[in-house]
Amino acid sequence: MFYLIGLGLGDAKDITVKGLEIVRKCDKVFLEGYTSILTVGKDVLEEYYGRPLVLADRELCEGAIDDILLEAKDAEVALLVVGDPLGATTHTDMLLRAKQFGVKTQIVHNASIMNAVSCCGLQLYNFGETVSIPYWTETWKPDSFFEKIVANYSRNLHTLCLLDIKVKEPTEESLTKKVRQYMDPKFMSVKEAAEQLVQIIENNPDTGISKNSTAVGLSRVGATDQQIAVMSLDAMRSFDLGPPLHSLVIPAPNLHPLEMDYLAQFKSPS
Amino acid sequence: MVNFTVDEIRQMMDKKRNIRNMSVIAHVDHGKSTLTDSLVSKAGIIAGARAGETRFTDTRKDEQDRCITIKSTAISMYFELEEKDLVFITNADQREKNEKGFLINLIDSPGHVDFSSEVTAALRVTDGALVVVDCVSGVCVQTETVLRQAIAERIKPILFMNKMDRALLELQLEAEELYQTFQRIVENVNVIIATYNDDGGPMGEVRVDPSKGSVGFGSGLHGWAFTLKQFSEMYADKFKIDLVKLMNRLWGENFFNAKTKKWAKQKDNDNKRSFCMYVLDPIYKVFDAIMNFKKEEIDGLLTKIGVTIKHEDADKDGKALLKVVMRSWLPAGEALLQMIAIHLPSPVVAQKYRMEMLYEGPHDDEAAIGIKTCDPEAPLMMYVSKMVPTSDKGRFYAFGRVFSGKVITGQKARIMGPNFTPGKKEDVYEKTIQRTILMMGRYVEAIEDVPCGNICGLVGVDQFLVKTGTITTFKNAHNMKVMKFSVSPVVRVAVEPKNPADLPKLVEGLKRLAKSDPMVQCINEESGEHIVAGAGELHLEICLKDLEEDHACIPIKKSDPVVSYRETVAEESDQMCLSKSPNKHNRLFMKAQPMPEGLPEDIDDGKVNPRDDFKTRARYLTDKYEYDVTEARKIWCFGPEGTGPNIMVDCSKGVQYLNEIKDSVVAGFQWAAKEGVMAEENLRGVRFNIYDVTLHTDAIHRGGGQIIPTTRRCLYACLLTAQPRLMEPVYLCEIQCPEVAVGGIYGVLNRRRGHVFEESQVTGTPMFVVKAYLPVNESFGFTADLRSNTGGQAFPQCVFDHWQILPGDPCEPNTKPYVVVQETRKRKGLKEGLPDLTQYLDKLYYPIGGFAHKQSVDTTRMCRRTLISCLSDA
Repeated sequence: MFYLIGLGLGDAKDITVKGLEIVRKCDKVFLEGYTSILTVGKDVLEEYYGRPLVLADRELCEGAIDDILLEAKDAEVALLVVGDPLGATTHTDMLLRAKQFGVKTQIVHNASIMNAVSCCGLQLYNFGETVSIPYWTETWKPDSFFEKIVANYSRNLHTLCLLDIKVKEPTEESLTKKVRQYMDPKFMSVKEAAEQLVQIIENNPDTGISKNSTAVGLSRVGATDQQIAVMSLDAMRSFDLGPPLHSLVIPAPNLHPLEMDYLAQFKSPS
Repeated sequence: MVNFTVDEIRQMMDKKRNIRNMSVIAHVDHGKSTLTDSLVSKAGIIAGARAGETRFTDTRKDEQDRCITIKSTAISMYFELEEKDLVFITNADQREKNEKGFLINLIDSPGHVDFSSEVTAALRVTDGALVVVDCVSGVCVQTETVLRQAIAERIKPILFMNKMDRALLELQLEAEELYQTFQRIVENVNVIIATYNDDGGPMGEVRVDPSKGSVGFGSGLHGWAFTLKQFSEMYADKFKIDLVKLMNRLWGENFFNAKTKKWAKQKDNDNKRSFCMYVLDPIYKVFDAIMNFKKEEIDGLLTKIGVTIKHEDADKDGKALLKVVMRSWLPAGEALLQMIAIHLPSPVVAQKYRMEMLYEGPHDDEAAIGIKTCDPEAPLMMYVSKMVPTSDKGRFYAFGRVFSGKVITGQKARIMGPNFTPGKKEDVYEKTIQRTILMMGRYVEAIEDVPCGNICGLVGVDQFLVKTGTITTFKNAHNMKVMKFSVSPVVRVAVEPKNPADLPKLVEGLKRLAKSDPMVQCINEESGEHIVAGAGELHLEICLKDLEEDHACIPIKKSDPVVSYRETVAEESDQMCLSKSPNKHNRLFMKAQPMPEGLPEDIDDGKVNPRDDFKTRARYLTDKYEYDVTEARKIWCFGPEGTGPNIMVDCSKGVQYLNEIKDSVVAGFQWAAKEGVMAEENLRGVRFNIYDVTLHTDAIHRGGGQIIPTTRRCLYACLLTAQPRLMEPVYLCEIQCPEVAVGGIYGVLNRRRGHVFEESQVTGTPMFVVKAYLPVNESFGFTADLRSNTGGQAFPQCVFDHWQILPGDPCEPNTKPYVVVQETRKRKGLKEGLPDLTQYLDKLYYPIGGFAHKQSVDTTRMCRRTLISCLSDA
């Protein structure tokens, strides 16, 4: 049996009771560690679950997953995923493969930023397509996500922007070499995201979205010290929301009065 | 330095119309360096008596021991033209008013094909070339190679027929035979010139013509030379005929009847060819009298030709006397320097037509105009063509030519390497020029500044340039064009220190070696192997010797030489190849196919290149290779290294976000093109087509980490399904030998998979020339083998010519290519056996019991295309 278990957003205790029971009975438990992170480290989880975990990086999940699945044919194997296992992440392929190998699977859902974003007061019903904002490099500056933000905006929908995280990504140069070198981990802040967005806006005027448009910044959603801030994109460029992870929302132009009231509490006094 | 000081040279440097930058080029052993010495002796740097015995330009010990030139060497010379000769210069840009002196910067370069890259570097900084041909052996393969290169760089040639002493003393040729030999060489040279230069082109007419004085004759070893101008001068007064007219009469089909005093255009019984009568006869007489010890004739002859024997030479006879007499009668330096000053272009003339060949930027920016007008007040543009080791170990002088402005000691300048692109910050440094120097053979002299049109060296620049580069003070300057070498580094050896602790010294030494030679490649394989790659066995031998003795200074172990191969394909991929990204959300659909014959060579030659306007390029590809014009316009890139003979073509229709993954696909392509699937050798002649791409909607899930490895896997699958093949480098091999040895040559060539495609007798000699193609892999020890099988009578010259498919399927065990692949894989530390297609090719799978699953990609494409066309029709 192969289990995909969501860990939720905050700390070790966000795992569901069902999930915890499975973790405790499994022969082998992997912790997926590259699509998101919790506020606590692996050792805290191990202590709370009372069992060792194997850290699964991108190469293991994408390249060597077949071996894990074959192991799951005769054993109980679980893969722990921060948030919801099929939320903002990319694990559907694993389930397809498991099916091919004749391995039974079970999913244990949990909270994800995809629903927890509602903590800022914007209604989930009114969200459009979700986008991710990648870190730009010297030569790679994709901006197609902005079209989607504009499309949502023009249909009066909010856009949830997930921000790039690089936990153990190979460097651009080492991608074409046999020996991989990895970048230091980095997590995009709303500050950096706003900066990139403003650059795109400057290159694409007349989309309806300007630097003065409202933006909602969220950090460490689900944790006890979560923070939410509402201000213009321009102001967001220099606003520090603390340690990762961050998310950004571009609200629709016309908000429901209740949404407005709720957002208002996060506005900074100025 | 007897005749001039640095200050005097510096003054001459400003008189740009009186400067001649020239190289001496020839086939190996045709006597360049010896001839150069007679020039240098005339210009007064070494004593006249030792010319012909000291190889002044061969500065290295091994050069003097082997009697071959390995590195090119520059010397500046000063020469004054007499008033009567100045009238021969008609172009106002060829001389300054009221100045008789000429500054000649001469570069002597190697003749052995293995060192042709030195020639290329020399040609770049000069405007004219003295082509030296041994009149006994005639035009040889290297003569042709370097002449072709010279013409391509827009270098104007003049010709010198060397070793006339051999023709007279050893071969005892009759006057008429000798004339025919000369005539044939002139024709051969002009045929080569005409093939690569259009008379209507920017350089105008460049062919050489004895009657114009652009062809010299003589003997470098004996130190004598003449052109028809010298002989016409002797006769012009006597005949009361204009000098120029007489020069025309002294060459070609002009016959003179001594009795009737009539000129004729045809040979009759009682007339004689004017060249033989007036030019060769006197020389023959002198030779005959002196060599046969006809004492009584000698005195009379000497008075006739106006030579007086100096006291110390009075008791000489035979060859020694002949040398003295010929040298004072027809001093080589005088004739050659006159030829150079009169017939070779000044920088002012040459840079006008060379600018467009030299400069990559727009042809009307400040730098371009500065080069074109050779303006010392314009911004500095200097091209560094090579690095010359200094006495300080590990440091180099950057040697090059100032094309515009002035390079000044202490000046702040931009140092741009070959990878610099305007507007970017890569491969460019803003630094101070530590010191400007003049390089003269073995010596260097500091100089304050050097204006355009001159050749000089720089100190301190070597830290910022690998081998070549552009130095400028113009902020928006583009690069000067990178030189194209006629040979490629196809032979390689692996090196390691005998004592493993010396590894850091080896690594440092390899860096220095790479700098000191224009072409050698020092590669650090990922397997940890250090590879040195050169043009041929001799080139490698010299490089390794330098590495061991000068650069690393440690004992090294070297592997047997091996050849670089290329990987290619024979057919189009037999299926649409799909590869999925690691996260499985992105899919690439591609195929490989061989390029049409000739296209890889066109790319090598730069006729098709990544910098072309895409429309012009597409038109060329459509006209010449019947490529679909829309596809030809969408060539994404060339590779490896962005310029190689493989291309990636976007054949997809309406794929969203494709431009956002283009860079990653290109990076994957460069990688695959550099390390092919069979043995990680470069690819050659492969065209990849991208037919379709499905992508994750979110940019974050299709970054380089996802796309680059996937592209490579997909390209590998394309190669494996397209009948992969190996290509090996092939030498063009020219062998000179007497007739009896020809049989032996065939035997040796047959055993080494070579084949003869031309065999001819050198007219007027008993020598035969055999031309053959010989795989480079079979060439190791070829020279020795050939000599032992021909009694030491055959001398081969091998120059890289082309790539050829190694027959057989590398996937079939026991074929030759299979063996090569396995050996190469083993050497590189790769898994033995064949690459496994399933590692690279992914399958489409569809939901169980789903719909439309067996649909092929082509039909998906068709559907999409139909949909698009429906939409656009509507």
